[in-house]
Amino acid sequence: MVISEQGYVHWQGTFIERRFPWWPITRLGIRLAFKRKFFKFVFSISLLPAVMFSTGVYISERLDDFQFMLKGQDRLLEVNPAFFKSYFTSEPLLFLMVMIMVLAGAGLICDDLKYNSLQLYFSRPLRKRDYVLGKMATVFFFLLILTLVPGLLFVLLKLIFAGSFKFLANYPWIPVSVIAFSLLVTLFFAFYTLLVSSLSKNRRYVSILLFLVYIFSNVFFGIFYSIFHNPYFCLLSIQCDIQQVGAAFFRQSPHYDVPWIYSFLVLAAICCLSAFVLKRKIRGVEVVK
Amino acid sequence: MNVELKDIHFNYGKITALDGVDLALSEGACGLLGPNGAGKSTLLRILLGFLSPERGEGRVLGYDIKKEQFLIRRSVGYMPEDDCLIAGMDAVTFTAYFGEMSGMPRQEAMKRAHDVLFYVGLGESRYRLLETYSGGMKQRLKLAQALVHDPKLLFLDEPTSNLDPQGRNEILDLIKDISSKKDIQVLISSHILPDIEYTCSHVVILNKGKVAAQGDIEALKEIQYSLYEIKTKGENGGFLKALKDKGCRVEETEDQIMKVYMPANLSRNEIFQVALRENIQIRYFVKSRTSLEDLFAKTVGVD
Repeated sequence: MVISEQGYVHWQGTFIERRFPWWPITRLGIRLAFKRKFFKFVFSISLLPAVMFSTGVYISERLDDFQFMLKGQDRLLEVNPAFFKSYFTSEPLLFLMVMIMVLAGAGLICDDLKYNSLQLYFSRPLRKRDYVLGKMATVFFFLLILTLVPGLLFVLLKLIFAGSFKFLANYPWIPVSVIAFSLLVTLFFAFYTLLVSSLSKNRRYVSILLFLVYIFSNVFFGIFYSIFHNPYFCLLSIQCDIQQVGAAFFRQSPHYDVPWIYSFLVLAAICCLSAFVLKRKIRGVEVVK
Repeated sequence: MNVELKDIHFNYGKITALDGVDLALSEGACGLLGPNGAGKSTLLRILLGFLSPERGEGRVLGYDIKKEQFLIRRSVGYMPEDDCLIAGMDAVTFTAYFGEMSGMPRQEAMKRAHDVLFYVGLGESRYRLLETYSGGMKQRLKLAQALVHDPKLLFLDEPTSNLDPQGRNEILDLIKDISSKKDIQVLISSHILPDIEYTCSHVVILNKGKVAAQGDIEALKEIQYSLYEIKTKGENGGFLKALKDKGCRVEETEDQIMKVYMPANLSRNEIFQVALRENIQIRYFVKSRTSLEDLFAKTVGVD
């Protein structure tokens, strides 16, 4: 019985050594995310805070033209470290980042577990770290667009609209803080997403878990704080931990009277837990059952 | 030799999975047989470079299984037993993706994916989402992703499982075509003995972590024993006992025919001599074609 529509032809090309073997995995993750209409919608929405803050940068340099809108509130539009802190640690932005993770990151590992594709990956010349890096870079791509890109854009817009380097002369450390905090928050969320994604084979459960852990950590903090009035309960909340660390990175006083390093350690501990779980769950040896 | 293993030992804790396996496979298709727990999967894991043997050494396509696993994985194709896909992809992107993961340039991987999908018979449905594929189509897709980087050696794990008879025949024809005409060596791990017999010229039978038999299937069947079908008249209790004493294995079928597996060192005249001594009439005597199933049962010691 002839079933082939054409005969087998040997491939005459040569294999290449990729500098970044994880890049095809990242590209696929980005592509699959953009295939979903709802994701495109949410991603567009998540750019709104950056647009609003960019507008704020513009208005801050044209205060006289916009006095009729500001009515004496022009102090709020001063572009200084507090401005950056309020962008990076704003609740809407963090919430939208979680939404992006739910839509683009939930299936990263759980789908591979569900559809047994790990064995296909690891029957290729691919290291475990390249696989994890590829998946992480997908989350990095989306979250850095919401953090690093707007952060640097604000600095650039400020310089362009001001027409001088005074802002950089006053706060030369701001670009470094923007880069460092963007990377930190993105790294944390990437580890958090992959940790939860590797815990189940069901994308729906992972999505719910990603969302609930973030929300309920905040709810629990609220409950305990209102009962005991102890600010250290802010360590329970992922959102508060990020805000505490964010305040330290932009040299602002933290919202709660707790050393920021504690919050940093909580975030680092979650990253370590994630690395440990990923090491155990993603195993090349399971390629052959 | 494409695959060469010497004195391979591997333990899972206290359980011995492989115990001094020696293996040498050259061209063509080879079947890997064995009951559950015989060590087939462990052997494949070692060949793919996922596990490092505790003792012994080996080479796959000339690459050391302990030190050059990456080179091995680049040169071999692997078709797993389970359904494997990436949701939301079509076949051509899926196949090209794994070509790229093997180290092919992106453009060439895409071109090659089209060729391979046509070869396995998925040309018309290559742009369909993988979730909509039937079991047979998924099986062909797995074969396509294993072939996309043009491997020199193909590991197929239960390639015909969960297929209807027609789908099974089609996959077997493809495997036969690949192994016989395309200079690709195929190692098939399967429980379906007729599939191995149809596609392979060589077989390795594993039992309790050891190689129980290996070599050319036809030669093994001839060398190990001869199979005769006999019908007798008279009380045959003594006849059966005498045959068993001589080392024959005897099975009685429902239609009163006895299947006698004779060791290679015995002549068929012995059967007649025993019958004469036991005063039994032999009414029917045929040298039967031995199947791989018979060889497997004899080697592994199960019915």
